[in-house]
Amino acid sequence: MLSDITIGQFFPGNSPLHRMDPRVKLVVIFAYIVLIFVPQNWAGLGVCVAYLLAGLLISGLPARLLLRSIKPIVPLIVLTTVLNVFYISGGETLVKWNFIHITTGGVNNAIFIAVRIVALIMGSSLLTYTTSPTTLTDALERLMSPLKVLRINVHEISMMMTIALRFIPTLIEETDKIMAAQKARGADLESGGLVQRVKALVPVLIPLFVSAFRRACDLATAMECRCYHGGDGRTRMKQMKMRRSDGVFLASTVLLCAVVILLNILLASSLA
Amino acid sequence: MSVLEVRNLSVTYATGTPFEKTAIQGINLCFEQGDLVGIIGHTGSGKSTLVQTLNGLLRPTDGQVLLDGVDIWETPQNIRQVRFRVGLVFQYPEHQLFEETCYKDIAFGPKNMGLSAEEIDARVREAAAYVDLKPSLLEKSPFDLSGGEKRRVAIAGVMAMRPEILILDEPTAGLDPKGRDTILRQIRAYRDENHATVLLVSHSMEDVARVADRVLVMDHGEVAMYDDTPAVFARAEELGKRGLSVPAVTRVFAGLRERGLPLPENAYTVEQAVAMLLPHLRKGGDR
Ligand SMILES: Nc1ncnc2c1ncn2[C@@H]1O[C@H](COP(=O)(O)OP(=O)(O)OP(=O)(O)O)[C@@H](O)[C@H]1O
Ligand SMILES: [Mg+2]
Repeated sequence: MLSDITIGQFFPGNSPLHRMDPRVKLVVIFAYIVLIFVPQNWAGLGVCVAYLLAGLLISGLPARLLLRSIKPIVPLIVLTTVLNVFYISGGETLVKWNFIHITTGGVNNAIFIAVRIVALIMGSSLLTYTTSPTTLTDALERLMSPLKVLRINVHEISMMMTIALRFIPTLIEETDKIMAAQKARGADLESGGLVQRVKALVPVLIPLFVSAFRRACDLATAMECRCYHGGDGRTRMKQMKMRRSDGVFLASTVLLCAVVILLNILLASSLA
Repeated sequence: MSVLEVRNLSVTYATGTPFEKTAIQGINLCFEQGDLVGIIGHTGSGKSTLVQTLNGLLRPTDGQVLLDGVDIWETPQNIRQVRFRVGLVFQYPEHQLFEETCYKDIAFGPKNMGLSAEEIDARVREAAAYVDLKPSLLEKSPFDLSGGEKRRVAIAGVMAMRPEILILDEPTAGLDPKGRDTILRQIRAYRDENHATVLLVSHSMEDVARVADRVLVMDHGEVAMYDDTPAVFARAEELGKRGLSVPAVTRVFAGLRERGLPLPENAYTVEQAVAMLLPHLRKGGDR
């Protein structure tokens, strides 16, 4: 069923990570993503991974969830690993056979980069797992608000994102329902060649579009009825406040950056 | 043998996720040919889930659905044939219309059955007649009709497949009293003329009391009662505990009895009530 697909999965909870100011979370994740590419040695990467694990512990989410977030990019990881193993040489030779030449340096690099990608994906998953999509766009709007100077309408962009995210599950549910209704009239959505399958989608797509437009009209009317007129002069129901814990978190991230850079300077690179 | 039998049926949604939910559990039921069964139950009690398993749209997690004694999932490739025999009209069926004209939309089901052009034409016209759709409307776009007319086109779309068992999920929701009466009358007519079995899911006790021979009461995914209509509505207190009620007329009669009028307990429709009350009024007039 379509409803098995989860987009921007959010797992509600009440951990410190859930309660954290979403703006801080966004900034930290941004810093983390940049930082993950900085370390040149295992010690630095190890510190980053430790930081990630600490975040996972604080979030109280099962580790299984984070492992699952890796699933879609397994092919990518395998590909980069294989390429690294074959193309990078350095250190001792492990295998030498015809054109294949595997060295310890290649294996070392391959693992290093795989760990890097996994840590990258897991970190960003931790953000979407602990922050609801609407909170996220809200925080994004506020972080981007300086762009107003450039005459970019930040509020409208974030409102569109919020609405789109809000209606994804609704439209999935609607699609499920319409598909079931047409199947009840004998529509065959599962067999046949490509052309036939595309044709079979018409009875699903037309009602879906009709209903999407109806919903859009209803939503616009409802927003107008509540005097919505864009972002100017609008106050907020949910105020975002930085608390001490947010400060601590930011400070720890700065510390992490410093440690990783320091390790880069002090220790030799472990990459071939 | 019953036309449709349900054995130990359970359905669980989203198995293996934090959102796991058992919608119906261990249900056993028999539907006899020609029965018109009303299905009631509070919201979320599993009515829609139940009817969707009956025509194979949902595959049960456990248990069987037997159509003429044969498990419908015995040969999963033939599930479409089951859907032609057990017609299901969804809640708000007007949202599934898609063709350029009503005629083509009603013909969608028969066409999927692979019938000949003449047969399809005959069935479309027959179905349109059942739901009182003016022939002139057949060539119009379904998107230009009123809500009630759209609903009738959608119901005709399922009737045109001439299912032996017709299931309707809240066909009267959101209609005015006249539209409601028409649809209920047509559903009965379909049953009478085709010797079909009809299952009618409804939140309106009045509707159920008016048309159903038997009533099935669902509660938290289980069958709470399944009996003849009068027998079910006689258990007003038990229905109340399950978040349901008896028809308004029955409640009025109970009130009148409390005030001393010698009225019978088995009044479920306005017509019955009128017939029972009239003698008392005459007596009053004589005095
Ligand atoms: N697709 C689904 N995924 C997960 N849970 C579902 C799904 N559909 C229904 N449920 C759950 O199953 C239970 C039964 O739902 P169902 O739609 O059968 O109730 P119903 O009796 O038809 O209610 P109503 O009178 O409101 O139409 C509900 O608790 C509902 O939340
Ligand atoms: Mg329902």
